[in-house]
Amino acid sequence: MKRILSVVAVLAALASAPLAAHHSFAAEFDATKAIRIMGTLTKVEWTNPHIYFYLDAKDEQGNPVRWTCESGAPGALTRRGFKRGDLKLGDTIVVDGYRAKNGANLVDARRVTLADGRIVSGASAGDGGPQ
Amino acid sequence: MSASRAGVSVVAAVAVAVLCGVAGQAQLSVADFKSNRPTPRTAAGKPDLSGYWKGTTDTRPGGNIGKDLPGWKLPLTPAGEAALQHNLTATIDPESLCIIGGIPRHNASGLPFEVLQGANKIAFLYWYSYFRLIPIDANRKHSDDPDPSFFGEELGRWEGDTLVIDSIGFKDEKVWIDENANPHSDALHVVERWTRPDGDHIHVETLIEDSKFYTRPFTYSRTWVLGKPDEEIQEYACSENNVDAAHLGFGPGPIRPDGTRGYIDPAPLPPPLPRTVK
Repeated sequence: MKRILSVVAVLAALASAPLAAHHSFAAEFDATKAIRIMGTLTKVEWTNPHIYFYLDAKDEQGNPVRWTCESGAPGALTRRGFKRGDLKLGDTIVVDGYRAKNGANLVDARRVTLADGRIVSGASAGDGGPQ
Repeated sequence: MSASRAGVSVVAAVAVAVLCGVAGQAQLSVADFKSNRPTPRTAAGKPDLSGYWKGTTDTRPGGNIGKDLPGWKLPLTPAGEAALQHNLTATIDPESLCIIGGIPRHNASGLPFEVLQGANKIAFLYWYSYFRLIPIDANRKHSDDPDPSFFGEELGRWEGDTLVIDSIGFKDEKVWIDENANPHSDALHVVERWTRPDGDHIHVETLIEDSKFYTRPFTYSRTWVLGKPDEEIQEYACSENNVDAAHLGFGPGPIRPDGTRGYIDPAPLPPPLPRTVK
């Protein structure tokens, strides 16, 4: 039930979130390239205009690959319950999102499953990206 | 039914209920934000426009300066059409590169803003730590050759209970007139007519003229609602960590038939993980 409430909290937060996009989703990311990344958290930049966190993961051949994960602005994320303290170095994080259009190892982290199983929204509200 | 399937069903049911709430909210108009508070006034008897102002979900399409035109079709001249194509195919959104959006783009933005009104000046404060400070003086005239700027040379005056802001002297490089990459030139002339019809709403009627890029003047109107007393502009350093700048493509990406930006049929995300909360 706790997880159910987390999902509800995410949806409710999205419902009430102010529009705060720094740029259009589609200017940076490809909505046809959904991806799931599971990796170890190695760095967190809790900064404006976007937060970034970095995951060490493995590609389909088992080779190490580092992913840059982009989410919304700190203020917007904090208001919806995704806080800086939720990201601890060494955690195993799962990111569901969309790849950058330019092919870089950069993902729009729209759904983040934290190490404790909580699911939080990392989307930049109002960016026109998939809901 | 297994416990896990039951859980999924509950999630789905609650999600549907919440999303229906979202849809309901999306249908709210500014009239649904009822107000029984009168327009606050200054000591001089003028409406006080001060407050933290938030957009509503019925401003559609958001970020599109053609919102009030049939089919959102802007009356572009050939030069304007060429400028639009240049913006779409050869420029990165200036605002995402931390260049001031200017007027009228800020009035079409989804971001809230704050107004602080004095006796002879009025300040508009924006997220990204931008501001514009406008003199209110009916006797001031525009300069003969104002230095181009993103907000333009702005002059304010009262016409009854309406604050009129008349602006010329705009830049013609590194500017999009809205989030859809529509253009404006240095011939832009913007007349904003701001009113506060009650305690909880602020409204603008905007006349946009640009003889280089548009065949005729057009209008853009919008109403915002008052934020809560503890809501205010906070630090939002645009240039703190622009990792994204190196990855942004030209233009805003696809524009949907409804005048908004984004993909029509995005791929779904993988289903949420069936993980147990520790």
